Amino acid sequence: MDEMLVHMENGERTYSRGKTPVAAVVSATCTIMPGDRIALMGPSGSGKSTLLHLIGGLDSLTSGRLTWPALGARETLRPAKVGLVFQMPSLLAPLTVVENVEIPLLLGSGSADKARAAALDALERTGLRSIADKLPEELSGGQAQRVAVARALASHPRLLLADEPTGQLDSATARHLFDVLLESLRGTDTALVVATHDKVVAERLNTVWHMQHGILEVAA
Amino acid sequence: MLTILWLKGLFAYRSGRLLGAIVGVALTVALLASIGVFIASSSATMTRRAAADVPVDWQVQLSPGVDASGIANAIGKSTAYTALEQVGYASTAGFSANAGGTLQTTGPGKVVGLSPNYRQHFPTELRLLIGSLDGVLVAQQTASNLHVTIGDTVTIQRVGLPPVKVIVGGVVDLPNADSLFQAVGVPAGASPQAPPDNVLILPDTQWRQVFDPQIAVRPDSVRMQFHVRITRNLPADPNTAFVYVQQMANNLEARVAGSALVGNNLAARLDSVRKDSLYALVLFLFLGIPGAILAMLLTMAVAASGVERRRQEQALLRTRGAATSQLLRLAALEAMIVGVGGVALGIAIASIAAGTITSVGLFASITSIIWTANASLVGLILAVVAVLYPAWLQARNSTVMAARAVVGRGRKPIWQRVYLDVILLVVSAIIFWRTASTGYQVVLAPEGVPQTSVAYETFLAPLCLWVGVALLAMRLCGGGLEHGRRVLASMLRPIAKKLSGIVSASLGRQYVRLARGIVLVALAFSFATSTAVFNTTYNAQARVDAVLTNGADVTVTGSTAFAPGSMLSQLKALPGATVVQPMQHRFAYVGNDLQDMYGIDPARISDVTSMSNAFFANGDAQATLAALAMRPDGVLVSQETATNYQLAVGDQINLRLLSASDHQYHAVKFHFLGVVREFPTAPKDSFLVANASYIAQQTGSSAAEIVLIHTTANPADLAIQVRNVVSALAGARVTDIGTTQKIIGSSLTSVDLRGLTSLELTFAILLLAGATGLILALGLAERRRTFALLAALGAKRNQLGAFLWSEGAVIQISGGIIGIALGFGIAQMLVTILTGVFDPPPEVLAIPWVYLVVMTLAAIASMVAAVLSTQIASRRPVVEALRDL
Ligand SMILES: Nc1ncnc2c1ncn2[C@@H]1O[C@H](COP(=O)(O)OP(=O)(O)OP(=O)(O)O)[C@@H](O)[C@H]1O
Ligand SMILES: [Mg+2]
Repeated sequence: MDEMLVHMENGERTYSRGKTPVAAVVSATCTIMPGDRIALMGPSGSGKSTLLHLIGGLDSLTSGRLTWPALGARETLRPAKVGLVFQMPSLLAPLTVVENVEIPLLLGSGSADKARAAALDALERTGLRSIADKLPEELSGGQAQRVAVARALASHPRLLLADEPTGQLDSATARHLFDVLLESLRGTDTALVVATHDKVVAERLNTVWHMQHGILEVAA
Repeated sequence: MLTILWLKGLFAYRSGRLLGAIVGVALTVALLASIGVFIASSSATMTRRAAADVPVDWQVQLSPGVDASGIANAIGKSTAYTALEQVGYASTAGFSANAGGTLQTTGPGKVVGLSPNYRQHFPTELRLLIGSLDGVLVAQQTASNLHVTIGDTVTIQRVGLPPVKVIVGGVVDLPNADSLFQAVGVPAGASPQAPPDNVLILPDTQWRQVFDPQIAVRPDSVRMQFHVRITRNLPADPNTAFVYVQQMANNLEARVAGSALVGNNLAARLDSVRKDSLYALVLFLFLGIPGAILAMLLTMAVAASGVERRRQEQALLRTRGAATSQLLRLAALEAMIVGVGGVALGIAIASIAAGTITSVGLFASITSIIWTANASLVGLILAVVAVLYPAWLQARNSTVMAARAVVGRGRKPIWQRVYLDVILLVVSAIIFWRTASTGYQVVLAPEGVPQTSVAYETFLAPLCLWVGVALLAMRLCGGGLEHGRRVLASMLRPIAKKLSGIVSASLGRQYVRLARGIVLVALAFSFATSTAVFNTTYNAQARVDAVLTNGADVTVTGSTAFAPGSMLSQLKALPGATVVQPMQHRFAYVGNDLQDMYGIDPARISDVTSMSNAFFANGDAQATLAALAMRPDGVLVSQETATNYQLAVGDQINLRLLSASDHQYHAVKFHFLGVVREFPTAPKDSFLVANASYIAQQTGSSAAEIVLIHTTANPADLAIQVRNVVSALAGARVTDIGTTQKIIGSSLTSVDLRGLTSLELTFAILLLAGATGLILALGLAERRRTFALLAALGAKRNQLGAFLWSEGAVIQISGGIIGIALGFGIAQMLVTILTGVFDPPPEVLAIPWVYLVVMTLAAIASMVAAVLSTQIASRRPVVEALRDL
């Protein structure tokens, strides 16, 4: 099964902040294949963000097994193989939209010119070409999240992890953003995992995972 | 309750910033308080040295026929004294002596009567060359004119009476003849009377026998004086001391109602150092104030670096129900902690500095107590302005501030719109031009007048330059960063590589913060540079001044009869004596005026002592000496002589020199070559410089009365060896430059700037390090966010570093270049404005290479340390950093 992008078995992540340890992910077993469209649902504090961080290689397991058979070692996942959209506003204030989008490309192996071209292309695909030279402080919340999506897409990752990308937006804006996301992934085999509270969003994806108190339930 | 909670938070989470602000206040207070100590210490030293220099404090001259004991009583009532001696001065028609079969005679002279105690009470008036001080003494010049020595007989031609014969018991030098024979009662500013050419000194009983009859016949030919040494409990400040001594003398003159006049040597001496003490004051202010301003700016920057945190805190406290007044009370408490802590620490630093660097304690003089009190006040105000004021601003409009902090787009600040920077530079230029072009005196202390004045407005020239360049730099750096991103990117490529584009874009958009940082670093650099350059120049000049007075590193002075020039080969053999050269010191009549004449070897004199261009009226030492070498009978004269005789270059001038064969003065032809203003060992008034070979040929004596020695070893040590070599020569004196430098009491160059400058140079490095570290701390909140995001997006450690190193390099390099250039500019300005301090003025700035290198290394080291510690501080697990977004 070399095709597997991610494979997790009995994953557990416990934080030991203060005296009482907090188990953010208690037990998680899952596999992500190319072209998967997964919605990750669960109440606040159930461990969705933690799970995405683990899958994205930002964090590591306390116990259990986590591998990326088709992607390689954990250190090589970012900036190019995995694209990330964060729950919080995540644009760098002193950089323009296009500069923000090209960051992952510049951190990777290509040249500066190629990075700029790819960034403009990503903006084109997400319909943001016209605001390429604006600063984050001049954008609306929806625009800012779309830029974050464009940034995650710019390196053509094989896995896109989006943590409540629409969490702070009104529902109309949120759905529009989601349309953009799905539209730009159409026809690619990039796998997508979206953490969301939004049932409507979840229904548009072919798989739904549920999380409750750190336990992941993967529908068969 | 809230207060205690908040205080706990203050010490736990903001201890760094709190400590930074306290240290900033402390440095400000310490610098200001130390300035006070240095001013107090230097004026006390000046007064003490000046007073110590005076051979006789008062010469009270009695009107003819007045009862001496009455005057002595009156003196006792006007001042406490430690010595009182009656001295008789009798004029004579001349002296004669029979030497080796020929009769030598002199013109009119003076005979002084001194009691046996006189030389104990006033030890610097007489210096014994040969014989004993107990009998009849002949002044050196007179002995040489009459060609007499111990045991010979001299005939005194009394006025209106038959001559008297006395037998010579010793030959003396009268080092203070000018004041000893001064005309008492002549108004200040009148041209001083030259001392008599021929002087004889008799024990007072013998003087009475010889001259009491002359008083009876010609009362006008004899004068009586009281020489007084007053009790030395003088005020520390030269000006106050001057007024004090002057008033005592006035009191005496009023008391005796015209029957005696006071020749107030002590007041005259103090008068002459008043100006120097004011210059010292100005110097300390010029050098010290910028440091204090810089420390204040840093304190404010430290306090301001907490703006974001404080905003959050205030919001939090508000949600817990704190009112604005309560928030302000908490900020006031913080200001108080900073203020009181800073002042206490500052006073502690200043008193340690005072103890180690000066002889005066922090609380030992009124001046320094006042300065310390004012410094403390400034420290408290600074704490309030730095801490309380921004908190107040924030409490009033709590949200507006934060939005502007990161990216500087928006309206230009008011100073840019009104071109304050350009205005300040123009003001500076105008003040400087006015000061420099008109030979304007910064300090005025007219002779004899108690009032003094300092043109404090000249301070504005360097101050405006400083602030103006700072603002201009802020404008240009801001503009450059904002618009010159492409250039910046290419400059950053070595550090940031592929990221150089977005790094320069990021830095360029934070131009406000960066420009502030650059300016702060530039000011720290300029402060350190200007202080160091001025200090080095000052020290070099103090050396030139000491060389001028002493002649060379080590100088031997003697007489024609016992010429040190005869020991040349022994002196040359001494280890450490690198260059040894003889110089003649004779006397020559220019008309009726007897002047010092120096015979030199113009081709080689500059090997042994420094020949400054300022010594010569044409401003070219090399050309003048070359001209003298070309023309054997050439002579350099003083400006006064050249004017009096309306001399043009090439004119013949006849001088009368003492011939070795017949001991008579004979006319010798010279040709005028130029005007000499100053010369090593020469007096401040008129003198002559000519070729030694020509003088030797014309006088029949090649004796060199002075030997100049240049050494690369310690001059004081060499002087000891030299003293051994010349011990056989009667009256030979050996002086070294270090000792001379300490003795030149009148000269400002004796003010030891070392204390202040070493303190300042240390502070400057601290400030520089502080400024650099601070800059990186200033944008910490924004930087944390940037780092977390970049790390989450997959940046490696060195890629994160690119942002920090680029920022550090931009700030440090631009700040360094601007600062060092500005520092040299300020130093040049100070040297020009304070020309009066220097005698002669320096030709070029001396460059303190070592300090500049140390300073730059310290700055680089602190930048590296700041970057590394920021890197370490922001090395957190990515997920944790993300939670803080
Ligand atoms: N770095 C950490 N240190 C300590 N506890 C943590 C850390 N990260 C997460 N937690 C805890 O783990 C639990 C799961 O958090 P997580 O952010 O994954 O939930 P979530 O499902 O994403 O919630 P939300 O829908 O509100 O975003 C929470 O109780 C949280 O407090
Ligand atoms: Mg979450």
